Amino acid sequence: MSEFQSHALMLAQQSKGLAWLNDAKQACANLWQAEKWPTRKTEAWRYTSLQSLESTLWSVPSEAQLDGLPDELMALDATRLVFVNGNFSSQFSSELPESLTLFSQASPAEQQAILTKFNQVAKVEKHLFSQLNTAALGEGVFLNLSANQRLEKPVYVVYIHTDTGASDYVGSRLLVSLETSAEAVVIEHFITLSDASPMFNAVTELDIGENAKLKHYRISMESEQSLHLGSVHAALHANSQLTGFTLATGSRLKRIDYHVRHVGSGADLDLQGIYLPKHNQRVDYHTNVEHCVPHCTTNEVFRGVISDTAKAVFNGRIHIHQDAQKTLAEMSNRNLLTSNRAEINTKPELEIYADDVKCAHGATISQLNDESLFYLVSRGISEAEARVMLSFGFVNELVENIAVEDIKVWLRPRMAKAFGQNDDVVRHLIHD
Amino acid sequence: MFVSDTMLKINDLCAKVEDKEILRQLNLEVKPGEIHAIMGPNGAGKSTLGNVLSGRPGYEATAGHIEFKGQNLLEMDPEIRAREGLFLAFQYPVEIPGVSNMELLKASVDARRAHAGLEEYSAIDFMKMAREACKAVNLDQSFLKRGVNEGFSGGEKKRNEIMQMMLLEPSLCILDETDSGLDIDALQVVANGVNAMRSADRSFIVVTHYQRLLDYIVPDYVHVLANGRIVKSGDKSLALELEAKGYSWLENEAV
Amino acid sequence: MSEQVESLIRKEYSAGFHTNIESETLPPGLNEDVIRFISAKKNEPQWMLDWRLKAFKIWQGMEEPQWAHVKYPKIDFQSISYFSAPKSLADRPKSLDEVDPDLIETYNKLGIPLHEQEMLAGVAVDAVFDSVSVVTTFRGKLEEAGVIFCPISEAVHKYPELIKKYMGSVVPQRDNYYAALNSAVFSDGSFVYIPKGVRCPMELSTYFRINEMNTGQFERTLIIAEEGSHVSYLEGCTAPQRDENQLHAAVVELVAMDNAEIKYSTVQNWYPGDEQGKGGIYNFVTKRGICHTRAKISWTQVETGSAVTWKYPSCILKGDYSIGEFYSVALTNNYQQADTGTKMIHLGKHTKSTIISKGISAGKSQNAYRGLVRMGPTAEGARNYTQCDSLLIGDRCGAHTFPYIESAHPSAVVEHEATTSKVSDDQLFLCQQRGLDAEKAVSMIVNGFCREVFKQLPMEFAVEAGKLLEVSLEGSVG
Repeated sequence: MSEFQSHALMLAQQSKGLAWLNDAKQACANLWQAEKWPTRKTEAWRYTSLQSLESTLWSVPSEAQLDGLPDELMALDATRLVFVNGNFSSQFSSELPESLTLFSQASPAEQQAILTKFNQVAKVEKHLFSQLNTAALGEGVFLNLSANQRLEKPVYVVYIHTDTGASDYVGSRLLVSLETSAEAVVIEHFITLSDASPMFNAVTELDIGENAKLKHYRISMESEQSLHLGSVHAALHANSQLTGFTLATGSRLKRIDYHVRHVGSGADLDLQGIYLPKHNQRVDYHTNVEHCVPHCTTNEVFRGVISDTAKAVFNGRIHIHQDAQKTLAEMSNRNLLTSNRAEINTKPELEIYADDVKCAHGATISQLNDESLFYLVSRGISEAEARVMLSFGFVNELVENIAVEDIKVWLRPRMAKAFGQNDDVVRHLIHD
Repeated sequence: MFVSDTMLKINDLCAKVEDKEILRQLNLEVKPGEIHAIMGPNGAGKSTLGNVLSGRPGYEATAGHIEFKGQNLLEMDPEIRAREGLFLAFQYPVEIPGVSNMELLKASVDARRAHAGLEEYSAIDFMKMAREACKAVNLDQSFLKRGVNEGFSGGEKKRNEIMQMMLLEPSLCILDETDSGLDIDALQVVANGVNAMRSADRSFIVVTHYQRLLDYIVPDYVHVLANGRIVKSGDKSLALELEAKGYSWLENEAV
Repeated sequence: MSEQVESLIRKEYSAGFHTNIESETLPPGLNEDVIRFISAKKNEPQWMLDWRLKAFKIWQGMEEPQWAHVKYPKIDFQSISYFSAPKSLADRPKSLDEVDPDLIETYNKLGIPLHEQEMLAGVAVDAVFDSVSVVTTFRGKLEEAGVIFCPISEAVHKYPELIKKYMGSVVPQRDNYYAALNSAVFSDGSFVYIPKGVRCPMELSTYFRINEMNTGQFERTLIIAEEGSHVSYLEGCTAPQRDENQLHAAVVELVAMDNAEIKYSTVQNWYPGDEQGKGGIYNFVTKRGICHTRAKISWTQVETGSAVTWKYPSCILKGDYSIGEFYSVALTNNYQQADTGTKMIHLGKHTKSTIISKGISAGKSQNAYRGLVRMGPTAEGARNYTQCDSLLIGDRCGAHTFPYIESAHPSAVVEHEATTSKVSDDQLFLCQQRGLDAEKAVSMIVNGFCREVFKQLPMEFAVEAGKLLEVSLEGSVG
């Protein structure tokens, strides 16, 4: 066991327990304990070091108060759930509809419902940090839609960290279950209010029933010093649809995994991602899409702009099992390097065991296109502004696809500012 | 705005692209209000001229002098040339997905006005102007919100260039083979746009391979560019002569 | 999948037979004494023995790599014999006439008549029968040009300075498990030296053949192209049928000095095992070249053989403006497994690499492309273009793509594309409707799929490669 590995077990004991989840927690603690700690020779961690987890005394923070809602929140007409340092804040949250349940407030019947779904979509034995997440689980959210139920408003889950002076471990858990033909929009948003360096460990499970539709947005724009180990696990049943969007700025350590399994015929996945590390930040996206059954489609697009001395990793895997005939799967990964010392490592993988499939992937790495740059400059735009516009445009193409207008409105200026050193070069991109 | 009675004065301009000498001692003078057509065979250096004037990287002036409204053009960065009023309508306009036409237009017009010490247009006023410009070149207003040239047809791209030109109100407009690949209707739209902008203090350099465009944009002068220099100049009748006789009879004169 | 395709895949290995030549073969096992024996048998100088022993020590401390997408029973390296030589070689033949008639007969069966090839193709042949070079032709003509083309065992004696300087300079002893093993026990192989400014007057070619039961084959090839020189090297193989798996771990090192060009082409047709996946060659090869300023190395391979292939011909683009190319066709059938691809390591400015990989999987085979493109922090203006396409014939095979793309320079441009599709019944039907039989149709589709690679091969090889694919797929349709 590594130092962190054994230390983390103490975290698990610190977390306030929900007795009815003890078996699951203990099982994951056991798995965690038995794991061989990854090194740079471990294929899944080839490009990202876990060194920054070590030599820190992580602890589970106690309840913290906020003076008010931070400005950073999206202005959304949504059912809002606010967590502060891992604890639910009823003060800042909406009244929860019946379909939304906090783990800590679950009735015995709801507990039973959660237990039948919990860690079913997430394959914890295969995902290291989901083990820790479960072992140290304090609170969670359960969104449960019955057949044909359609949520009026999006569910907006905000995970806020506010400085406590300690090295905080902030766990979070979201379990979404959509039964046949249900529909929902879910937004997960990670925020830090200081320059402190908390560690987020977030696990999301999405069980999307037959013909159900889910739009899931995951925005992770925390402070530079923060650490973030996150994963989204999804199971797509027959004819269901998952539209996923994920955006991450960089930080000291940021690793986000998507594990999606097509388990019913006719399922459709559309997954788009943006990563924008700068300074000395890191971002590592790993996606794994399993086509287990025939007639499913995957369209995956990830784009990154890597600046300064930042490093990014994209590892996208599409696995077509033997029975998954008539699969259509495409994956595209494009990267812009905007500095001499920026780095990108990309690995788009296809593993195909069925013959009647159409699969393609593409990856590019380049810098800004000279032609485009000159086009803007020849119109009188300064080179600095032109560069920002082009970098922005490169990823904005994906943002334009977001179906929830308010997210776009919120995201645009923040994304622009991620590229611009001063307001002057971003102001033409910030408008309504 | 400026006192010189010359818009553009090119003296003995030599230019190379990737170590290849393209322009060889080219001379040209353009006065305010004039339209000059530059014609010539493929590879003569027509597009190079527009690129050197607008300051495209990779196009290096190795000798000679260019005066633009009394200033040394070659000393200016490309964006300063644009802000001073030099506009190049590209032969192959670039697609920039993710950046809307409107964003590009506002940024460039703001930059040009700030350079001239003028107030920025308000977003509302500018929107009105942009819509007018769209109408003038027969582009749907939805084009303002679309990515720059993204998915535009060839004709739409060229009309988009003219729309940008209208909003930027340049003093010298260089049209680089704007007519290539256009059908007759689109050609007319482009020509109408140019003609509407003709004024006593604005000049045009129209680079074209075909005489056809000049039926619609009637030039004051026609120059033949061959082997990197102007080998013959005349009035619009020269264009008709070229149409009939081709270029080969002139090319020898350049050597 | 149509039955026709199925039967086309079920084509027996036509080069399957066994030649009886009495061999002088070491009993199985590997230890320092075996290495001393090999070295002594070759009458090697002390420094060569020391080099081998050092490699052996390194190898002992290494573990067999597990990362490739291949599965095979664990190899018992102690059950392999590490030296065998045809006995009649004790008196080295002075000309082709002196060569063991049995051996000549072997080549004839394979359709590689040496005399004819010599005359017709103008190709110099350094034929390896098991572990030792038997015959080298055209030596005279090459010597005239100053080109050295000889068995590496001979070069150890005649050109020790070149061997000392370059052997292990591209593939160090500790590079990987199999390279270390090869460094310890390498049997023989080719040595090529092209002097400054010389354009090698002919294609250089070596035919390898594995013959002895339980014999590992450990060739080692070293090609040095001095400044401004040019050479095209052809490697081709075929092996007789047998039941026991044979290990093959070769090392090929290429050195292209400033402005030099090396073209290395391989047609590999080793015994792939039978329809049940029994037998066949294990092929674990390390091939790598280093390019100095404005040099170019081009790897072209057509792989249809071996039960397990582990092979990544690579280029280190060290010099500015150097060029690396990799063109590959890998066809797997029955239970064959291939994990092959390339590494392009860009260090110099404005270096350029192109990777075109065509994988064809049939039967129950697994075919993986694994490639690395690395743009180092000094690789200003470097470019890579990669295209890997997979074609599936049948629903029980696998086609996989594992590209690793790393860039640490913003002005480096990398483009990678990959597609996977199948020979569809529709395509087949279209061809048939136009009057082609199914076999011809599949062959045409596959040939079309591979065209970009075939056109990189020297003429005489292109024909052979086309034939080889046809043979490998023959009978799978109609």
